Amino acid sequence: MSNHRSGDFFERILGGPVLWTGLAIMTIFALGPFLWAFSASLKTRAELYATPITYIPALPTFQNYVEAWTSRLTPFSRFFANSLWVSSVTMVATIVISTSAGYALARFRFVGKNTLMLVFLATQMFPAVLLIAPLLSQWYALGLIDTYQALIYSNFSFTVPFTVWMLVGYFESIPRALEESAMIDGSSRFGALLRIIVPLAAPGIAATAIFAFVSSWSELLFATTFTSSTEMRTLSAGLLYMAGQYEVQWGQLSAGVMISTVPVAILFTFLQKHLIKGLTAGAMKG
Amino acid sequence: MTREASVAMPSPRGFISRGTRQTLANYAYLLPAAVCLGGTVLFPILKSIHMSLYQNVLSRPQEYRFIGLGNYLRMIQDPTFWLTLKNSFIWVVCSVSIQFVLGFLGALLLNGKFKGRAFCRTLNLLPWIIPGVVVGLMWEYLYQPNYGPINDILRQVGLLRVPIAWLSDPNLAMASVIFTNIWRGIPFFTIMILAGLQAIPDKVYEAATVDGASVTQRFWHVTLPLLRPIIIVATATRIIWTFNYADLIFVMTNGGPANATQITSSYTLLSAYTDLDFGYAATLSVVLLIIMLTFTAFYLKVTKGVESVSE
Repeated sequence: MSNHRSGDFFERILGGPVLWTGLAIMTIFALGPFLWAFSASLKTRAELYATPITYIPALPTFQNYVEAWTSRLTPFSRFFANSLWVSSVTMVATIVISTSAGYALARFRFVGKNTLMLVFLATQMFPAVLLIAPLLSQWYALGLIDTYQALIYSNFSFTVPFTVWMLVGYFESIPRALEESAMIDGSSRFGALLRIIVPLAAPGIAATAIFAFVSSWSELLFATTFTSSTEMRTLSAGLLYMAGQYEVQWGQLSAGVMISTVPVAILFTFLQKHLIKGLTAGAMKG
Repeated sequence: MTREASVAMPSPRGFISRGTRQTLANYAYLLPAAVCLGGTVLFPILKSIHMSLYQNVLSRPQEYRFIGLGNYLRMIQDPTFWLTLKNSFIWVVCSVSIQFVLGFLGALLLNGKFKGRAFCRTLNLLPWIIPGVVVGLMWEYLYQPNYGPINDILRQVGLLRVPIAWLSDPNLAMASVIFTNIWRGIPFFTIMILAGLQAIPDKVYEAATVDGASVTQRFWHVTLPLLRPIIIVATATRIIWTFNYADLIFVMTNGGPANATQITSSYTLLSAYTDLDFGYAATLSVVLLIIMLTFTAFYLKVTKGVESVSE
């Protein structure tokens, strides 16, 4: 049993100082870059390019935020509105499409249903890179370049497979008896779906909705490729455009970084628990 | 279908039998999703295959013609393509293995019981959820030779005399983008493995402790075998995802300097954006697709016994 006792000692060390030191290092490493960007976003222009560099702004100012938000060359207010619109429409449409498909896959028996589920799983892993060239020529042919539709439709390529996959699981966990009794009472199947199943699956639907929103918000390649005018850029595309300018304005860029990060960070804290469940059940891009 | 038949359905009249009508109604639920994926995934992939058979450089439209496998032959003879494959391999192996080890450590730490664990977990997930372009630009600033904090910190601790240009030195650029990618990807493994750890009942550990297993023995003989399914799923997903992930390189170095950080997926973007060579870009993406599908098939075969993939 000596082994056991030394184990106890080891455990106490692991549970105490080692745990706390490890957590501290890990958290500092994860947060460090954000703290730097936040600090830089509050610096004056002189301080940004001063040597030696400073870590805490001497004269914190919101000037960079104001300039980025109202800039004519890179109007973050417009980028923000574009991102909000594209992500919201993608989210709502994705949920309608996926609720219907997820319900069908959870309840009905289809020829080739398992194959279909595999297709959904595999599609989640398809990279945007693969779709850029053909989608560009497709949207060009349809006259959709520089429109919100091109971005929203393209976003379906990654939001729909994941949300369908997630929702099938949620719907399968709801007993069939519930909607069957509603249907005996005269409700149509579609009515039962809307009145019985959707409310019961609401937490799952909400989680997948936030996922669709967050991943559309982060999307970069479609947004840069299918838009050409400044007014149509999303935050991701706008940030890249700003970084490509002749002289990089690190202050404004850092402000832009914070503007793009905060909404997803807030949304994600709500989503966490549900997303982890879905992640471990399947796979996702992210 | 009988099991699905609705009791309240009126009895059908006309040519189509009730069963067929029901089946058609059921398929209608799938229709919107099918249209979406058909239009944004399936059709574009077929279109890529078609495009890859043509000489199609946007800046030289007069040369547009069918060249069969010409683009594929060109790819085989293209030294840059082989370089990007090698770079992709380094990019994937280094990123995923280190993400895995650090993510695992993170999960073990966050699995401990302490006050404020939920908050700490949220903070540690941040690098993974923010937009890729944000990660790329933030790190570009951190790596900046003159105004960036990394050089400054190294100088202050006495490790550095001359500023290092992390992203424009061909010998360091790849390591630097990989480091950034590791930072971004650690939380993925952390949450996956944390979820796996929390699914292990305390009883299992208690039993092992009663049997006299030390904490290291419990880790190797209890924790690790029980986590095997989730480790396989997480690693495979991550490998595929990292192999295809071009955003970070596209933002930070655009494959440079001198293709030092060019991976196959970023090379596809370069062919399309800079060279405007859509035939070649489509060829590269078809090859990416083949590599990815091969790996996915292999992965599904491996996981089949481990975890049921569907139903």
